[in-house]
Amino acid sequence: MSMQASLPVSLIPGDSLIHRINPLVKIVWVVGYIILAFSTQNIIILYSMALFAFLLAPIAGVTKPLLKGALILVPIASSLLALQIIAPAVEKPWTPVAEIGALTIYGDGLYYGLVLLGRIVASLLIALVMVMTTHPSDLFTSLAKIKVPYTLNFMLAMTMQLIPVFQREVGIILSAQKSRGMKGSGFAAVLPSFVPVFVGAIERVQQLSISLESRGFGSDGVKTSFRQVRTRPSDWVLGILGAIILLGLAVFSITKGLWSLSALIMFPAALVTWIFIIAATVFGIIVFGALALAIFKK
Amino acid sequence: MTTPSSEKSDLAIDVSGARYVYPTGNVVALGGVDLQVEHGEILGIIGQNGSGKTTLTKLFNGLLKPTGGKVVINGVDTDGHTVQQMAAHVGYVFQNPNHQLFARTVQAELEFGPRNIGVPEEEITERVAEAVEFFGLAGVIEEHPYRVSFPIRKLVGIASIVTMRPSILIFDEPSTGQDHQTTKIINDLMRGLREKGTTVVCVSHDMPLLADVVERVVVMKDTQIIADAAPRDVFADKELMARTNLQAPQATDIALQTVVPLGGPTALTPGELADDLVSRLSKASTSQPTR
Repeated sequence: MSMQASLPVSLIPGDSLIHRINPLVKIVWVVGYIILAFSTQNIIILYSMALFAFLLAPIAGVTKPLLKGALILVPIASSLLALQIIAPAVEKPWTPVAEIGALTIYGDGLYYGLVLLGRIVASLLIALVMVMTTHPSDLFTSLAKIKVPYTLNFMLAMTMQLIPVFQREVGIILSAQKSRGMKGSGFAAVLPSFVPVFVGAIERVQQLSISLESRGFGSDGVKTSFRQVRTRPSDWVLGILGAIILLGLAVFSITKGLWSLSALIMFPAALVTWIFIIAATVFGIIVFGALALAIFKK
Repeated sequence: MTTPSSEKSDLAIDVSGARYVYPTGNVVALGGVDLQVEHGEILGIIGQNGSGKTTLTKLFNGLLKPTGGKVVINGVDTDGHTVQQMAAHVGYVFQNPNHQLFARTVQAELEFGPRNIGVPEEEITERVAEAVEFFGLAGVIEEHPYRVSFPIRKLVGIASIVTMRPSILIFDEPSTGQDHQTTKIINDLMRGLREKGTTVVCVSHDMPLLADVVERVVVMKDTQIIADAAPRDVFADKELMARTNLQAPQATDIALQTVVPLGGPTALTPGELADDLVSRLSKASTSQPTR
């Protein structure tokens, strides 16, 4: 009933320009995005990619759910920036720009923090836009067209469909355990609940396989699909264009030594310090807030 | 963990103007419900799927907190108390036993609840022994709960709550998918609990079970309580049954079409109907002159 609404990431039905793009083209773009994001250290490219992906949202009419889904970035961004600024994930020498008590603030830390974050933001946003604008059946029909075996397709489809089922299942099981006076919170307390979750999952899979067999799954012959996916000339253009631009930039980045701008960009010490303070505070609030809530609930 | 004070209040369950809207959207699951249940009452809740039955019972043990109105259990407001704290007052038997069982043995499963609410060890042993006998679980006590058959697993699920001896016990569809024997055990259990003064709330589609056991039936439709009366009155109300798409027990249905117009009782069980028919038949045969 309310399951659909509780899922942060799922198809938002619509008929926008983005919705009508062939799913394979979207896959080309997502894969291209990921390859480029992880082949470059150029923050201008990374954040342009993120911005471009974000600008697709209003066209597709998915801005609100996209922002909701992107909330997951808040803990990631705050922890990543806070940690990278005091302990950069690159080879020494690091360039210290300021000190707060025992902590040394490094300028290159901010740069590499932004690179790591940019990769996540760009990949996540494009993937979210794709998932929110593509009907799963269309995706699998398209994959079948390029000769991906349908058993593999089916496995993918099932996995995607089982996620909301499990979410709901875990909710019910936790309720049942709480009703029996289950004490405490956190991972250790939740552990007993995994037994019913796994047993339920295995039983579900067994039942599914029996019902699949009884419905003739695996029989020979050509498989057809109720939903038809068209490939328009514009899809070819978008797909090839995407592949050329994204992979081209990736190759270019790699040949230019990942095209890092860390030597060119010098962040002012005050800026780095403030970003560290803000990121650390936000992260602290998230961690201690959750902790306090758990203790308070007890 | 502090347990809410269990001072005796007049009502076991006191729901006033309770509303519940699911946080994900605009789905109103419960729209302003009032319900008062006294200690030791045995109550059935019926209604179509989606009428709000389960939401209402989840308010009783604090699994859901009302988004409006008040829910007071044994004098304790569920708002401000955790489910774990409410567990000492309210036992909740889930529909699917697979959702609540996880221990390595049936024995451990039965001990889990009472231990959580701080029952002394000797008493736990005593309670478990009693439950094992009542539910006939002696043969499976060392088994893994998932290795026993589904009806037995259901009984283990129920027993695991019963050993907590809550003063209010909620059953969500206790007889779904159960064989006759298990249903009979559940039936006996509910009667036995009532004798001990436990308040029993049973959500079910199994009208014959309810007709046989409960003393009061609450009918829900479209997030509201639309009737609250003795089972005889509820099941005899043809208009109500039709409006809520519910089916009265067959015995009641047959009685309404046969003996009721002749001044007979609105039978709730086959036995009751049979008794009346037998007495009528014997009267008819004795009044006939013998040739």
